[in-house]
Amino acid sequence: MTDQIAKALYRAAAMTFEELGFMFPSSDLDPLQKYATPDALGYVDFEGPRTGRLVVRMCGGVLPVLAANMMGELEPPDQRLQRDALGEIANIICGNLLPALAGPKEVFQLRTPGALAPGEPLFPDPDMKPAAEVQVGLEEGRADLLLYLTEPLE
Amino acid sequence: MALNVLVVDDSAVMRAIVIKTLHLSGVALGQIYEAKDGEQALRVLDENWVDLALIDINMPVLDGMDLIERVRQNPETSDLSIIVVSTESSETRIEKVQRRGVAFVHKPFTPETLRQAILRATGVIDDRSDSKSPVSGSGYDF
Repeated sequence: MTDQIAKALYRAAAMTFEELGFMFPSSDLDPLQKYATPDALGYVDFEGPRTGRLVVRMCGGVLPVLAANMMGELEPPDQRLQRDALGEIANIICGNLLPALAGPKEVFQLRTPGALAPGEPLFPDPDMKPAAEVQVGLEEGRADLLLYLTEPLE
Repeated sequence: MALNVLVVDDSAVMRAIVIKTLHLSGVALGQIYEAKDGEQALRVLDENWVDLALIDINMPVLDGMDLIERVRQNPETSDLSIIVVSTESSETRIEKVQRRGVAFVHKPFTPETLRQAILRATGVIDDRSDSKSPVSGSGYDF
């Protein structure tokens, strides 16, 4: 089950980065991507048949370029719009992932996306481990996707 | 025919994405209006001629579903072509949206997806008639 969720998470993320951000995702990270340092954290909480949080951690300075691509701008937008873009990314990936968690007919509520400060716990329960985690290579950086669930997967 | 379009989303980034994609879609565009919630959208509709509204569901003040209800109840706007643009993936909820006589485009979306949805929602003829549609909408033959 965890493998299936991880695959669904990667598919949702890759599709979102490609179609909205005009970036070509890679599952095989090169050293530059692998060791890129985190620089922005966004998340979205969801409730329904399963409750949890999807965290998107952008690394290696990808977010400014991604945000500019999303908005069709040549120059990166300001920090506020970059955070807004990251929130939208989290929201869209999560919306596309949820059917894999509970089936296509189940109804979930997605909360307004938010940003996390450096050092802030990724999930309200800091001892909770992600139910699924994937990395997506993007240009010279990467995106880490971490799915937290309040109840473990079977 | 150039379409006057209203884009309703509480995210400035998502409004920019929708507008960028509209321009890439090849659809003839007239005036493009923006609103960050349903109340603002109703004011735009009250003051301007709009052919098509692209509406998000989850918004503060007046959400997308309530906005659609208000638009349909007003004789001045009851026939407005509406496309819901959302991350919603639940078939149950999508069917509920479509029962209100609106088309649905799922995020993320390509310019071609949006183009096909617009052509079907507005009834405008597509001169590139060989394209296939990945969108869904009430009353349409997909």
